[in-house]
Amino acid sequence: MDQDLAKEEGGRKDKAILCLGIGIILAIAPLLMPNNYWLRIYTMAGLFVMLALGLNVVAGFAGLLDLSYVAFFGIGGYTYAFLSSNHFNIHLSFLLVLPLSAIITMGFGFALGSTSLRLKGDYLAIVTLAFAQIFRLLLLNLDRPINITGGVNGIYNLDPINLFGLSIESPIATSYLIWFFAVIVVLGSFRIKKSRLGRGWEAIREDELAAEAMGVNTTKMKLLAFAGGAFIAGATGTLFASLQESVFPNNFDFPQLVIIYCMVILGGLGNIVGVVLGAILLSILPEFLREYGAYRMMSYGLILIVLMALRPQGIMGEIGFLTKGKKRPDKEETGVLKASTDLYYTEGGKTEQQIRPRYKRNDRPMLELKNVTMSFGGLKAVDDLSFTLHEREILSMIGPNGAGKTTVFNLVSGIYPPSLGKVLFEDADITGLKPHQVVKAGIARTFQNLRLFSNMSVLDNAKVSQFCRTQSGPISILFHLPRYRSEEIETETVTKEKLGLFGARLTGYRFDQKAMSLSYANRRRLEIARAISTSAKLLMLDEPSAGMNPQETIEITDFIKKLRDVYGYTILVIEHKLNVVKRISDRVVALDYGRKIAEGSYEEVANHPQVIEAYLGRKKN
Amino acid sequence: MDIYLQQLPQQLVNGLTLGGVYALIAIGYTMVYGILSMLNFAHGEVYMIGGFIGWWVLYLLSRGNVPILHASLIISLMMIIAMALSGLLGVIIERFAYRPLRKAPRMNLLLSALGVSIFLQNLVLNYQGAKARSFPVSSLIPENLRVIEAGGVVFSFMRILVIVVAFGLMALLTILIKKTKVGKAMRATAQDTEAATFMGIDVDRIIVLVFLIGSALGGAAGTLVGLLFTQVDYYVGFQAGLKGFTAAVLGGIGNIFGAMIGGILLGLIESLATTFFPATYKDVVAFIILIVVLIFRPWGLMGEKIPEKV
Repeated sequence: MDQDLAKEEGGRKDKAILCLGIGIILAIAPLLMPNNYWLRIYTMAGLFVMLALGLNVVAGFAGLLDLSYVAFFGIGGYTYAFLSSNHFNIHLSFLLVLPLSAIITMGFGFALGSTSLRLKGDYLAIVTLAFAQIFRLLLLNLDRPINITGGVNGIYNLDPINLFGLSIESPIATSYLIWFFAVIVVLGSFRIKKSRLGRGWEAIREDELAAEAMGVNTTKMKLLAFAGGAFIAGATGTLFASLQESVFPNNFDFPQLVIIYCMVILGGLGNIVGVVLGAILLSILPEFLREYGAYRMMSYGLILIVLMALRPQGIMGEIGFLTKGKKRPDKEETGVLKASTDLYYTEGGKTEQQIRPRYKRNDRPMLELKNVTMSFGGLKAVDDLSFTLHEREILSMIGPNGAGKTTVFNLVSGIYPPSLGKVLFEDADITGLKPHQVVKAGIARTFQNLRLFSNMSVLDNAKVSQFCRTQSGPISILFHLPRYRSEEIETETVTKEKLGLFGARLTGYRFDQKAMSLSYANRRRLEIARAISTSAKLLMLDEPSAGMNPQETIEITDFIKKLRDVYGYTILVIEHKLNVVKRISDRVVALDYGRKIAEGSYEEVANHPQVIEAYLGRKKN
Repeated sequence: MDIYLQQLPQQLVNGLTLGGVYALIAIGYTMVYGILSMLNFAHGEVYMIGGFIGWWVLYLLSRGNVPILHASLIISLMMIIAMALSGLLGVIIERFAYRPLRKAPRMNLLLSALGVSIFLQNLVLNYQGAKARSFPVSSLIPENLRVIEAGGVVFSFMRILVIVVAFGLMALLTILIKKTKVGKAMRATAQDTEAATFMGIDVDRIIVLVFLIGSALGGAAGTLVGLLFTQVDYYVGFQAGLKGFTAAVLGGIGNIFGAMIGGILLGLIESLATTFFPATYKDVVAFIILIVVLIFRPWGLMGEKIPEKV
């Protein structure tokens, strides 16, 4: 423990030195520039850092391929041109226009986001590209019949920047101003990335459906990404327009977008330090290649192709020989793995005592399905199904492949709305709620074919689940308000406690391991850990023992029992291994062709003639 | 209103011509999407380069705007060479920019395609300049054939040529896909790549073939448009690519016949729109169609909605 504290202290010291160093560089850099030409490049680099970080919010954090980003930059620029120039003879002060144009642009980002929310990947890219083209066509053509945008010639003679009556016109002063804003955007990016919002976006990027099923409001988060990116782009556009003192449609055209994308991708999508370096590098590098000016755009294209083929994670991604191998407690000094039995579950926290042995018939119903039907076209995957799950009951669903078991999970968890019928949870109607609302109500699930956030750490996988239990928004996060701090501490405590239920399998050094580096069985365990980290009362486990060996199966069976007996969860489980079903179930429901063919104790169901028929076929007469 | 009605037959002819071209471009998008589920962003540039190749053939076979061979021979050579080289370009793009990323996330593939698009566009800009190249079509077609009038509708020779060639190529493709062994293999690969592999189909070869055919048709479209509007420049691929994609989406992406119908439909809508809107906003109409279709019916007019598998 003392060691940890000392480490943290040391880390803080290093950080302070780093900040001081960067501060000094930023303070003297403008003075060191050999001439105004280089000073301007330095200033433009600051602008590009902001632009690239704004794009990084949308494309990097949230993984949305937004090709209209450059239009937001343009909206910011043109807003300043409209509000601070002779064009309409409006001369608002810079300090008023800057936040105003950022907010206006954010509004456009919000509008674009809400129209294209349902689209994924390629479709989103193409729709946003079409939006950007419409924007460009409007800029070019809205000079007739009334001159709004100035057409091809743009708008010039914009007001210079004016701060409290102090006109900022010297190149040095402007460079300080731009880099001041750039530093704010960098710091803000770090804070957002570390917060619940950052984790939520990362989860969406990894697996959108799983994120939604773990309680992340994906709709809201994607809108927030669009709006956040647009906010930064709008502010940068205003700064750019005031710096150039003019705006032209060409400033906001497709090639500009490609340059910004190259910066973000060179740095590595989502990697803040990388993106900053990428932006600086690609602002300076072309200046050395000026003689080959014509090849500049061509080389950007080549950069994209080569990076995607060889280093899609960007320059700052993990570099094999540079990342020191962390010492793993499950490895000997020689690198040989210790036997895994050394790490067998360590009992943490509660002693094993049964709170309640079994459910009783008069227990409170938790989940009720009433005549639920789900049809895909003509096929009824679930047909008029009704059953009740009581508090602290373990109910198993069995049935041959294609019987509709997983569809029942999808219906309850809100992935599909049922065609007919009702789903009640704790007497409240949850039919047709979105998956994240169902999680918030208290139902969490696992996936049969493992949908972990593979590139996130074990701890972050679990932390995503606390998203729906926390509220802090961008403002609390950016200013580290008390609410944010207390929520982060709460999230940390809850997730570590839940992961702790699995002992050394998921704790200690494993907190920081990527989910994809875990063994198959541990990934199954993490699926369950992630589900219980949502603070749900009802767990739906989809084949928790699939692919596990006999020893692991026994372990997980005991664990599921413990979840109910010790921690009081109510559990609905799909399982094919009948010895598991036998050991854990209070009751069993058997499905075939979407219909319930039997319900009752394990023995009753297992000996039911229709169940035997469904599994083994009919006896020959 | 009368004026609009009078213009209607003419606009239908114009729309059909444009539609044939869009359909040819759309087929390239849709074939690649059908098999790789990727948006081949660089397809518009292949179309543009196809136009330039056509121009070069015409240029090399003319002496000071006077063709040295018979017009029909020149046009055939333009089409064949443009299709062959564009097809080859498509195969090269697939080999170097897409194949290494076959297992990578879709976003990487799309970004790589974006890179190819930018690269090719600026490559042409560097070697051909920003100025448009014009096709000396007037010297190619005899005066008396240039314009044919029938019932108040003006058919230019080139429009008829474009319609005939475009629909002819589509008919050939349909036969290839429906009737031949290779066509069957292509359909199987589009249904399920893995299963196709297990059935002994060389999927890599099918993918190369798809790029070859799709790009060849794109190149054909480029040359046809060059002959029709008599010019080509480095920037035409961007707009044409978006239009072709719109057509593919309109018909239901992945569906070849959908792409044909989507292309024709888009051409008709666009030329009818020009009767009601200023010509500068013609493109806006197309993009709005794209956005509306993608948002409300992303599986297209001909496609089928498939629920996401969980």
